[in-house]
Formats: sequence, structure tokens, C-alpha cells
Amino acid sequence: MTAPILHQLLDQHFWLSPERVLFWEQEKILIVSDLHFGKTGHFRKSGIAVPQSVYKEDLQRLFAQISFFKAEQLLIVGDLFHSIVNKEMDFFLKWRKDISQLPFLLIKGNHDILSSNWYQEASIEVKNEYKIHQFIFIHDPNESVTTTEDGSFIFSGHLHPGIIVRGLGKQSLRFPCFYFTEKQAILPAFSHFSGLALIEPKKKDQVYAIVNQSILQIQ
Amino acid sequence: MSITETHGYKVVTDWLSSKGYSPFAFQAETWEHIFQHHSGLVNAPTGCGKTFSVFLGAVIQFINQHPETFRSSKKNGLQLLWVTPLRALAKDIGRAMEEAIHEIGISWQVGIRNGDTDTSERQKQKRNMPEVLIITPESLHLLLAQKGYPDTFKSLSLIVIDEWHELMGGKRGILVELALSRLVALSKQQGTQLSIWGISATIGNLEQALEVLLYASKKKGYIIKANIHKPIEVLSVIPDEIEKYPWAGHLGIKLAEKIVPIIEQSNTTLIFINTRGMSETWYQTLLNIAPQLAGAIALHHGSIEQELRLWVEDALHTQKLKAVVCTASLDLGVDFRPVDTVIQVGSPKGVARFLQRAGRSGHRPGEVSKIYFLPTHSLELVEAAALKKAIGETAIETREPLLLCFDVLLQYLCTLAISEGFKAIEMFEEIKTTHCFSEMNEQEWQEVLLHITQGGTALQQYDEYRKVEIENGMYKIKSRRIAMRHRMHIGTIVSDAMLKVKLMNGKFIGVIEEWFISRLELGTVFTLAGRNLELIGIKEMTVTVKPSSSKKSIVPSWMGGRMPLTANLGLMLRKTLDVALTKKAKEPELKALTPLFELQETLSHIPKENELLIEHIETKDGFHLFVYPFEGRLVHEAMAALLAWRISRKIPITFSFVMNDYGFELLSDQPIPVDDSNVYELFSIENLMNDITQSVNSVEMAKRKFRDIAVIGGLIFQGYPGEQKKARHLQSSASLLFKVFSDYEPDNLLLRQAYQEVFDQQMEEVRLRNALSRILKSKIVIQFPQQLTPFCFPIKVDSMRENMSSEQLEDRVRKMQQQLQ
Repeated sequence: MTAPILHQLLDQHFWLSPERVLFWEQEKILIVSDLHFGKTGHFRKSGIAVPQSVYKEDLQRLFAQISFFKAEQLLIVGDLFHSIVNKEMDFFLKWRKDISQLPFLLIKGNHDILSSNWYQEASIEVKNEYKIHQFIFIHDPNESVTTTEDGSFIFSGHLHPGIIVRGLGKQSLRFPCFYFTEKQAILPAFSHFSGLALIEPKKKDQVYAIVNQSILQIQ
Repeated sequence: MSITETHGYKVVTDWLSSKGYSPFAFQAETWEHIFQHHSGLVNAPTGCGKTFSVFLGAVIQFINQHPETFRSSKKNGLQLLWVTPLRALAKDIGRAMEEAIHEIGISWQVGIRNGDTDTSERQKQKRNMPEVLIITPESLHLLLAQKGYPDTFKSLSLIVIDEWHELMGGKRGILVELALSRLVALSKQQGTQLSIWGISATIGNLEQALEVLLYASKKKGYIIKANIHKPIEVLSVIPDEIEKYPWAGHLGIKLAEKIVPIIEQSNTTLIFINTRGMSETWYQTLLNIAPQLAGAIALHHGSIEQELRLWVEDALHTQKLKAVVCTASLDLGVDFRPVDTVIQVGSPKGVARFLQRAGRSGHRPGEVSKIYFLPTHSLELVEAAALKKAIGETAIETREPLLLCFDVLLQYLCTLAISEGFKAIEMFEEIKTTHCFSEMNEQEWQEVLLHITQGGTALQQYDEYRKVEIENGMYKIKSRRIAMRHRMHIGTIVSDAMLKVKLMNGKFIGVIEEWFISRLELGTVFTLAGRNLELIGIKEMTVTVKPSSSKKSIVPSWMGGRMPLTANLGLMLRKTLDVALTKKAKEPELKALTPLFELQETLSHIPKENELLIEHIETKDGFHLFVYPFEGRLVHEAMAALLAWRISRKIPITFSFVMNDYGFELLSDQPIPVDDSNVYELFSIENLMNDITQSVNSVEMAKRKFRDIAVIGGLIFQGYPGEQKKARHLQSSASLLFKVFSDYEPDNLLLRQAYQEVFDQQMEEVRLRNALSRILKSKIVIQFPQQLTPFCFPIKVDSMRENMSSEQLEDRVRKMQQQLQ
């Protein structure tokens, strides 16, 4: 992995990592989105043989990022789990125990359909929307009730943003990306078992593509 | 005893002579073989009584077995299983059989079973099987997914595989092979006599077709040829003015006026267009330039509403139409007697296909099949000349049976696991009796079993993989939900997500691919089924439209249907070009092309049969290398990847490439180092597979192949009504699965198969190797034209582009960015 890249927003420091996480330096919060834990298990239970090692590695990567940044809180911008409960969640719980000191805050996503008891037992705090200073965190930006007119800034996920890079001779490649507009940031999906939705950035927007193990600012 | 002495023979021939017919020699011969319980292959073109050759054989046999009661005996159980690739054929065949049964006076029932058969009819069949069942390969597998299926086939004595030449080269053929292996094993268990018969048009490897068909039964087979000679006349529609720079696409339409008199002078004309999109354009164009034909011409392709298609087919029978613009949708099937003229627009890509289409006209004995060839760009005229040559030498393509398609095997095992279940050791032996899996080894078999029982690598105590379970050595699927899902996915035809197109009043117009419609904005006008339609909205799987009078509209392009040129026709093309600009070029097509050939010769060179032409051209787009092997698009794709890889190992360089059936182009932003000193080395067959595997391109190709494999192998779930929300949580794209498997389970069986298919089918490894060997033995001519040449133009126009790079990915992105600035 190459070094994270710094992105400044309203005098705050956000570090973008090619492992698809964002670290807020001043608050020591690690921000991730769309982890879709349990997705492989959900597929496998239905007879679709997806390798479970994707899930295992996703957990390991998250752990490594938490240690690397020495994060003091984990903020998940939605879709922590993919679907209903399956056995893979037990693996998550075991993993959670190993870092039980670390507070988890989950902004509920459309996939987060587990019972509130379940989250409680996993010591995960759940909110629909979260605001800290002028920053608002919500899973799907289209469902936000708060406006950004007061100068606040929205972080969200949901989209699984991807950027297509074109060159001469109709060459094109697509990568997951961090997508910043003037008032908003959309995080890449953390899970390696997730697809991409291509974005069409406007001129002023900033896009950081995740190319293999490094981050490249596209615009 | 000879069959001619039997009662059954007498009854059937009496019936025939009462109608004024006597059996053709090949029919009588087939009856004799069926009488002897032989198996074999009937080689006959459509429309000359091939159905009756086998069907009446079964009738004679039944009468002989029940000499006293054949007229009255009902509910005799399934006697004859008739497998046909086309649903549309089933009805016509069934009708013809019913008529014969009725007139002969036996009390057989004829049943049809395919995707269109409703549930109540299926239930009825389950309770009481008709004597004759006409079925598709997919529906046959669905029968095998029913509990108690062995009873269904208890009295079966004859299986017929119609259009075997169509089925054999594809995965539907493997469905047939697997079903045959099961039915043969059942008949051995039950101690019954089972004959297997194929019906096939002429292909280059009839002997092999027979071998594959009878592989499981281990029987000696007989090939019976109808020997009905039909003369074919090929005429080209030659443009008044030959374009020296042939752009693909528009020239065909420019020639549309020339076919109006052909249509008018003919009784009924079929106009074959290679793609659905182009057929829409042609239909519109013909209506515009010949309004007098309105009402007398129709459009027929796979995306048009079935009712409308059936209407067109009926109208063809009853001679209500002057002309039908169609695609491969009318390649097969029953004959339309009124058709006396066929027009082929654009390259037919192969000799066999061209002959098949030509054969759709002039059915009556002694009539000539007349086919007009209309080129879509002037260079295609060479193909007309080459086709004539091929027909003269009866050089017809072979159909190669596929080997070791594990996706189909996985599906089949799950099918059996739903119904009766299977035992591993017995099933291994049985599967190995098929031609497709005869070379499967023990290890591969274990992997297949592991895949369906344990689903590859897992996290042991955290895994709940569930598909096939083993109970007392019996492999079974016990979850009803998984069984139901599997039944909905039986088959090997994978199509893109299709949306229904409907008018606001709910009238159904046709289907359209999702990726096409999703790019259109509301209010856009597009063409489907010959109508201009304005897009109003898309909801779930339905596109709502309203009729539009707008002059401008977008013609959808459908994926698929782009067949590559066959090796045969490629060879004929090279032979034909060999005589270009010489006195031997007698064909009118070649004479007409003289100006184009002269320009090509002036700027560059026209390759002789034993030469390979390479052109270096520099334009503002960059540095182009054009190579013309005439080996078909797929081989060119592989060859371009190979060349790009080998060059890029010498220097860091990025290429994009395009290919068509005649040649390919490498394009780079820096000069391409190919010259006399290294060119033979670049085409070397040493380390061929190694180099191909290394090229980035094989990953892209495998990704495309993986899509079908993932669907057939049960990895992609397309959802079904009533389970919408949860279904969404089970959806993933093939490209995502491909990525996940490549990263996390690279030795996965289905992933390996994707690469194997790339080598075998996509790159046609054998053909690639042959082509390279030929090139190495030939003279490579390198030219440096100052401008684009007539030969390279159609390639430039073809849009399929593949990427290839040896540079670091990150570097490449930076470079691409710089280029954009």
C-alpha cells in the first residue's frame, strides 16, 4: 500500500487510503462505507459458491486500517451488513470482541436490516443521520433531511462510486473512487465483493481513483 | 425377415400410395435400419421428407409390435422422443405427425413440451405421456428434474435429435449428450431396446457428428444420405460505382433500390440481414423507397413479439407477403413453399450458412435455389466470388463438438439431484460415456462434486453453503427453494437482460436489451419492430413507449449475432484475391472491383495466396499497423493480442486494437517496431500458449466468457417473481464475480473453464496455430503506404477495440490523462 493522500476540507484533515477508508485526523475517526459483511454467506446459503475469503480479508483489511491510523472511533456510513443474519456474522462478532474498546457508530443504510437488539449486543451504536461540527454523515445523500445551505458538508456512501478513465484509441479503465463535490463527499464501497456505479463528475469536483494499491487524483 | 414383408410396412406404404406418394430411397432405408434396431444419422436438407424418414420408421415398428391392436391401443406410453432446437418447429412437425397418425389410423397422441407449454398441459403429460413427445433440450432436462422420471421413459424405443448439426457445436448439444447418456443407462437398467437417430444438414464432419451422437450408446451407426441435389445460382448485386474506400454499413442501404425489381419479379423473397439492428433499418428503407410494397413486406427477428412473428410465418406459408426482412431467426425451420428468391445482405460468414440460406428458396424438385448477394461494403464483393468458388468445390465447414464444459455438468448434476439423486461412482462412469466428458479425470470429477456440495474455499464453522447434500451416498438437493431456483435456470442459452417494450395501452411490441435502453433519455425516439417509438418511461422490466412520427430515430443495436468468418471462407477469400487484377479474375464481382484493387496495388499491395500483407500507416491518431490474415474476427483478436504482447516485451508500449474478418489493426502513440528483421519471430508458434496467457487480453476475453459460464453454472441468480426484495440481495454481476474469483479463488473450476473456452473457442487455438504456421511459411510483405488504403478502411471503421499494455497500470493512467489534456 502506498501512503494515504491528504484532502483538506474546511481546515480539517482527511486522509484517503487506497484500502477504501477515510481517516479524519483531528477527530481520530476512521470513516468507511458499504462493507456488506455477510454478503458471501448470504450467497453461499442460497447455493451460490462465492469464495468466503473475500469476507475474511475485508475484516483483516479493516483491522489493519484501524491499527495503522490508530483510530479512536469507527464511523460506518451505512451498509455494514448485507442482508439477514447468517453464520458469517458470528465471525464478525468474534472479530468485534478483539477490538471491543473501539466505539462503532453505524449510520443506517438500506441493507442494514438487522434487529436493533443485534446491533446493541454487538455494541454498535445506530443512527439514521449524524452531525459533528459542520459535517453530516448519512448513507444515501438523496434521503438527507438536512440541507447544506448553512455551509455544512455531507459524507455518504450507498452509490459505490466508480470512475472511468479514457485515453486515446478508445482505451478505458474503471476504478473505485472517492468523489468530492463542493458540498458533499461520496465514499467508495469498502467491500471487495461490490460493484461500481460510474459517476460523471462536473468540472469543479474532485475525484481520487483507487488504482491497485495507490490513490491517483483524476481531477 | 426384411421390413418390406412386415405388416407395418404395408400399412404405411398403402397410406402413402393412397396419397399418390411412394417413399424416397433414403426413407425406406431408414425404416429398414429402425426395423433392425439400428441407430444412425439421416443427412437430408429441410423440406424433402426427413421428418417422415424417422417418424414413419417408428410407426412401422409400433404396428409390427402390435399387429392386432395398433388401431385401438391407447395410452401406450412414450414411444418416440423428438428433440428439436426450435420451439417454432415443434408445432409444424407435430401437425404433420398428427395428420399422418390420423390417416394411418393409429391412436397415438402427439405432445409438445417446451417453454411455451402451460402447466396444466404439463400436468396432463405427467399423468399420461403421449406416444410422441416433441421437446427442446432444455425441457428434456426439466423432465429429468421430475421425481419418478425413469417411469416416463419406460416404453421409449426411439429418440430423434433433429437439426443435430445446429446443436452439436454448442452447449445445447452437451445438454443432448448428457440426456442421452442418462436415457441409455435407463434403458440398459430396464432392459429395453433404444435406437438413437440424428437428422443433420450437410456439414464437413458428418462421421464425427454420428460418433458424438452415439457415443454413450456405444452402438455402430449408419449414415443415410438423401442425395437430393439442388442446383444453386449465386448472383451479386453490384453497385454502379465502386467506392475505392469501402466504409462498412451504408453502402448496403444505398443498394436497396436495386433489390426492389428483384422483389417485384419474384414470387416471395427472403432478405437475410446479419443483425437485428440492420434489419430494422432495411425494413424502413424498403418502405421509404418502395411505398407500393407497404403491407406486402414484413420484418422478422428474435426481438419481435412472438405473435407477430407467427403471423409473418403463416403469411409466408399462405403467400400473402412479397418479401420478409429477417435475421438468422428464419435460418432454420419449416420451409416456406412460396419463397423463390433469397437475398443475403452482407457477409454470410461461412459457406454452410450461405448454402442453408440459399436453400430456403426453390424447394420443388428440379427448381433452382436462387440467392442474391448484396455487399455492405465494396470489398465484400470478393466474398461473393469466394463463395461461388467454395460452392463449386463443396467446401463446407465442420462443426466441432465442445469438450469438458463443467458449467453444463454442474447444472446437470443439480438437475438430477432435484429429482432422483445420484451416486458418485456410478454417475462418474455414466458421465464419462458422453463424448464431451470422456476425457474427464478423477480429480476434475472430485472438484465438480466439491463445488456442488461444499462450494469451494470456506471459513469452516462460519459457513452455511447449501446446495447438494449427501445422504447415504445419494447426492440430493433438499431445499425446495434451491430446487425451484435451479429449475428456473435450466438451459444454456444466456441472453442479456431484456426489457419488454409496451405501448401505453399495454400492447406488447417486443423486447430490447437493457443496456441499450438505459442509455436513452426520456423522449428519445427509437425503432423496434419496424415502428418509430418515443420513450416515455422505464419501470421495473417494462419500457413504456408511444408511437412517434419523428423522422429521426435511433436504431437499437443488439449484442451477439456477430459470427466470425470461417476458416474455410477465409481460405477461399485468399484464393480469390490471389487472382485479383489478373486475367483469371473472370467473376463479375472481381471485375467490378478493379478500381479498388488498382488503388490498393498503387498505395500498397494485394496479397497473393501465399503472402501476408502488413501495412504501416501514420495518421494524426497515431501509428497504425494493419495486418491481413483473412482468418476471421476471433483469430484476429487473439493474433493482435499476441503481437501486441510480443512487441511490448521489447519496449514499453501501449496499443489499442481493432479487428474485422479480414484483418486487424494495432494503434499506438509511438512507432511500432515491426520490420523484416523481426516479423517472423513475432508470428512464431513457439511459446504460443504461454504468450497468449500472459497477454492482458486473455483476462478480458475470459471475463466475457465467464458471463455465460456463471449463469449456466448457477452462480448468477436472475430472480423470480414473488421474491423481489431478497432476490436483490442475491444479485451480482458476472464481472464482479469474475474479479472476486480471480483474486480469491484463482483455481476455481468455472474460472479455469472461462480461460479454456477462450483458448478453444474464442481464439480457436487450433485455428490460430494453423494460421500462424501458414503465415510462417508464407511471404510477409511489409508496406509503408502514405495514406489509408482500401483494405484498411473497413477495419478502421469496425469499432471493437481491445486494450493491451505492458506498462505499469498507474503509469498508464497518468499517460492517458496527459493525452486528454
